[in-house]
Amino acid sequence: MIRQFKQTHLETRVRLSARVLFAVGLALGCSNLCAAEPNDAVLPPVDFNRDILPILSDRCFHCHGPDESNRESDLRLDDHESVFADRGDYEIIAPHRPDKSELYRRITSDDPDERMPPKSEPRQLNAQESAAIKQWIESGAEWTGHWAFTRPVRPQAPPVHARERVRNPIDQFILAELENQGFTLSADADRRTLIRRVTLDLTGLPPTPVEVENFLADRRPGAYERLIDRLFASHRYGEHMAVPWLDAARYADTDGYQNDRLRYMWAWRDWVIDALNRNLPFDQFTVEQLAGDMLPDATLFQQIATGFCRNHRINSEAGSIPAEWHVEYVVDRVDTVGTIWLGLTIGCARCHDHKYDPVSQKEYYNLFAFFNNVPEWGLGPNNGNSPPFINVPKNWPLIPAAQNKLIPPKPYKLSTTQGAVVRPNPGGPNTVMVMQELAKPRPTYRLNRGQYNSPDKSEVLHPAVPNSLGELPADFPHNRLGLAQWLTDPSNPLTARVVVNRYWQQFFGIGLVRTSENFGIQGEAPSHPELLDWMATEFQRIGWDVKAMQRLIVTSTTYRQDSSASAKLVRRDPENRLLGRGPRVRLSGNAIRDQALALSGLLVEEIGGVPVRPYMPPGIWTSISNAKYKQDHGPNLYRRSLYTYWRRTIPPPTLLTFNAAEREICVVRKDLTSTPLQALTLMNNIVFVEASRKLAERTIFEGGKTAESRLNFMFRTVSGRSPGESELPTLMNALQSFHDRYRENPNDARQLLAVGESPWNGNLAAPEVAAYAMLASALMNLDEVITKE
Amino acid sequence: MNLNLEQKLQINRRQLFGRTSTGIGTLALASLLNPDLFARNERQRNAIGGLEDLPHFTPKAKRVIYLFQSGGPSQLDLYDYKPKLQKRFGEEVPKSVYPDERKTTMSSGQDKFATAPSLFKFHPRGNCGTYLSEVLPNLGDVADEICVVRSMYTEAINHDPAITLFQTGAQIPGRPSIGAWMSYGLGSENGNLPAFVAMSSNGSGKGGQPLYDRLWGSGFLPAQYQGVKFRNQGDPVLDISNPKGVDNETRRRMLDVVRELNQLKHAESRDPAIEARIAQYELAYRMQTSVPDLVDISSEPEHTFKMYGNDAKKPGSYAYNCLIARKLAESGVRFIQLFHRGWDQHGNLPKQLRAQARDTDQASAALIRDLKQRGMLDETLIVWGGEFGRTVYSQGGLTKENYGRDHHPSCMSIWLAGGGIKGGLSYGETDDYSVNAVVDRVHVHDLQATILHLMGIDHERLTYKYQGRHFRLTDVHGNVVQPILA
Repeated sequence: MIRQFKQTHLETRVRLSARVLFAVGLALGCSNLCAAEPNDAVLPPVDFNRDILPILSDRCFHCHGPDESNRESDLRLDDHESVFADRGDYEIIAPHRPDKSELYRRITSDDPDERMPPKSEPRQLNAQESAAIKQWIESGAEWTGHWAFTRPVRPQAPPVHARERVRNPIDQFILAELENQGFTLSADADRRTLIRRVTLDLTGLPPTPVEVENFLADRRPGAYERLIDRLFASHRYGEHMAVPWLDAARYADTDGYQNDRLRYMWAWRDWVIDALNRNLPFDQFTVEQLAGDMLPDATLFQQIATGFCRNHRINSEAGSIPAEWHVEYVVDRVDTVGTIWLGLTIGCARCHDHKYDPVSQKEYYNLFAFFNNVPEWGLGPNNGNSPPFINVPKNWPLIPAAQNKLIPPKPYKLSTTQGAVVRPNPGGPNTVMVMQELAKPRPTYRLNRGQYNSPDKSEVLHPAVPNSLGELPADFPHNRLGLAQWLTDPSNPLTARVVVNRYWQQFFGIGLVRTSENFGIQGEAPSHPELLDWMATEFQRIGWDVKAMQRLIVTSTTYRQDSSASAKLVRRDPENRLLGRGPRVRLSGNAIRDQALALSGLLVEEIGGVPVRPYMPPGIWTSISNAKYKQDHGPNLYRRSLYTYWRRTIPPPTLLTFNAAEREICVVRKDLTSTPLQALTLMNNIVFVEASRKLAERTIFEGGKTAESRLNFMFRTVSGRSPGESELPTLMNALQSFHDRYRENPNDARQLLAVGESPWNGNLAAPEVAAYAMLASALMNLDEVITKE
Repeated sequence: MNLNLEQKLQINRRQLFGRTSTGIGTLALASLLNPDLFARNERQRNAIGGLEDLPHFTPKAKRVIYLFQSGGPSQLDLYDYKPKLQKRFGEEVPKSVYPDERKTTMSSGQDKFATAPSLFKFHPRGNCGTYLSEVLPNLGDVADEICVVRSMYTEAINHDPAITLFQTGAQIPGRPSIGAWMSYGLGSENGNLPAFVAMSSNGSGKGGQPLYDRLWGSGFLPAQYQGVKFRNQGDPVLDISNPKGVDNETRRRMLDVVRELNQLKHAESRDPAIEARIAQYELAYRMQTSVPDLVDISSEPEHTFKMYGNDAKKPGSYAYNCLIARKLAESGVRFIQLFHRGWDQHGNLPKQLRAQARDTDQASAALIRDLKQRGMLDETLIVWGGEFGRTVYSQGGLTKENYGRDHHPSCMSIWLAGGGIKGGLSYGETDDYSVNAVVDRVHVHDLQATILHLMGIDHERLTYKYQGRHFRLTDVHGNVVQPILA
């Protein structure tokens, strides 16, 4: 047992060190940094999945991979049989003998005619990669399949030294790796930091100073757990958690092509918020959105859930060929399911066999067949919902049980407009688009090069899942419903891993698999493979209980750590992949705006309904399109950002500046970048200026009488903590100088206080409010305020 | 500002325009550990950001000004002279020349596909004798500087996919625009301005087609590479003006507070992202000064407006944008793209086309002249073109005075000028009906490969790994059009 532990210990150690170094090396594009790091004299063992398969895939599969049409010399380096086939007088790979291995000979050959990859290929092998292949062959050339295509097996949580830090198994996996690196978990974050972190993470809004004080005062055991309970029970949870799902589901208020005509899908959006709030298990969440209409005794709720499959863009441009665009809609559904549930770039196989992953073009159209049976027309109605749609009852979602029944959509009616353009009837603002299955399925064919007009009619393709991922169990219906059930069937190797990885990404900024959109061979290997599999199997074990899974994450010591780091740790692990410190991640655009509204007291909380049209700089739409933005007034200016009207071709600029997904296609990961445009927005955009001056008023009313107590109040409201001794003088001086300036120029003060539509309190002295407003603006621009610490 | 801080900002500016998707944190680390990492090669010493191995070879052009003509300008009425068609006025276009399948459904149901020869006269212009339509008199005056490509073609027949293909190399959304690729690969020449600026103007022709943010977006590239839209109404850059009641001094004071507190925070948490944030605020502050200066044309001499036309005094007009483009070029912006709307003449073409030409002809030619006078033409690549051509048959009724033309992907005309381009050349040919490009065909991906080539980039080697694939602007296609290179 001891021996075994040591063995694992050693393996993880070197594996991680090599990986981290590799990552740093890649990020810097240099080798001297890596050389500067101390390294073991003995090379670490090679792992096929982590070290070899990515090289073969990236450099070789293009010509020696799954794609039959592009394959050279009948050699498949993605296939064990082909690699180790009897080739008479030579072997592609001779285990333990690089010198007898044709593959090694060719990648190291000096002869330009022999050398692989050929010189013409832009991506060559470097010396380290050749060395890794040599080492792998020397050690016996062990060949395993790609990890993600095999069902996760629940691993034992590894033993650790600092057992007192373990709150649940997540910590064991994280800590074991840290200890192997000579690190350990950081101390827990202080309570002020923690309540702000978890409140932002679970609700998208910051805690109020009162909430912070209550949490600090709760000295009984279980205070943190009670806090979590409160947050999970808040309606804000569903609103906040809906946002990444709406991004992935490409939800929007317009069609997305050309004139970008309007549509009405918010009933579906509200279904998502509600489903998240009532903690619908993820397997049901899946089935209802993909095939709720096909469930026995389907409810109206389940039918509206299928709006998910209709969120794709729809083309209304006159002159479009309906058959062409119909194909695009089905393709979008397939690709979206591929990304969200399977974490695969299935879409690559639309035009040809996948270059890297074992998905053939034919298999792509087997998937296509699941989604090809909607009674729909390829051209949009030019404003309004495209059939099939249903009327949403006026009292929805508060409908009595008797009314909660599927409504059969009416068949579409076509009419000819603008000469020869044939369009379907539009659905009005009281409708929502849903899925419906044709009684007789449309025949599906493989499309040559993915072109709508070149079907291979020699074979009708039936719905089926890619062979490499298993097959539909015999007792499942071979239709959309069966596919939806298979996605969360225990035999599916991917879904649970892909979903828990996205939760991880949401809380820590980077997934255990960084490429959360791609678990295929070209994706990045997981930083903690055993943890990923443990979490995936745990998710299945607890019946896909989303809140329980997320609770496990946020109650872990790993999540609760302090996010500041030693210089050594930052140098060794700049991206915090080892999780030796807590997450420190910039807030989303939604959260930044919502936070400003909340801190200033402007936020209007109301769940769901018609999208709102808050401030937008003049001419954003009219300057490049033929549509005019009609701004709302009153409470609609201050609703949470997820209710903001989403025009796909011109998304709300404030949110886009902070890396919001455009919602044109399914997106599950966006890099958070830092640009000066973000600074300009936070300093000058009307909603942020208005929030600053309203926070100033609040501060004067609620923050006591002295400048110091007011500063304290404002600082605590904004950041959750009190200003430090070194910070207070800076703030006091600034306040004084702002105040002096506005006393000298009261007119400027009045102008500043007139920004935004909410009135300013005329009983207060304008120069004073303006001075506090500038200070509030400074605080709301601080890095720590727009960051989850 | 003390020297120490200035030095810090130098480092941070590099992080800001950082070279990797893994981002700022790693780069900050890199800069601390190994300052030599940022030593630039000789060719690109002044660049901020950009990839280490770029340019791949000595570039012919330092920057691009792409004058995009949105809607699909009619090649038949502007550049592709077909005198023999006059005799075929009103004759049915043979199905052998124009098969039905790829007609749009706006006109595919017509009873008749009557040949509509151009109403406009063409003349040989310049020493080169390039034939140009009478509606382009100013362009004719610089005919010896431009290379007209008459054999462009595309696959897309609708505006949205067609313009997306030109901008991103694919008809579907999600890929980076050409300017974003350039910004990612080559970085910025000016620390106070973005590397990629987009502007738009509305045409006089009816039926201006909409534009979309994705056309200058960064797609799957990190967002700092997206084009910054210089707007034609309100603030030139969104939120660049201080709110009313906040003057420059107050702003500076407020920023000092932000910087000081951010620095304290950084000392405690050591998150390199904070350093980048500090630099970002300083850059924003400098942009607040530099951008309004840049769009201020009050100090331009009167002869500038003689050259560009009086329209150039109107912010948001095409002529004004051309003038700003010149100023941006002088300031080191690498990729400048104008979008002029209104080239979608389904009907009433003669009248509308004249108006569109009036919007654009003088200023386009002026830009060439102006850059030449300033000695910048040979280092600036100018491209003029739309997303597809137009049909030879009339959409709707055909009379001697009036006709319309539908979308047409199989041939179109564009022109290029300046850095690395052979002036005075007409390249490629279409068939007798201007239906198909037949000689020296140039695909959209070929044009993109050529633009990158002139900027010193091998289009097959500028790639970005996303979803497991090494994507490039030209997908898996594209050949540099060597014969048009000087």
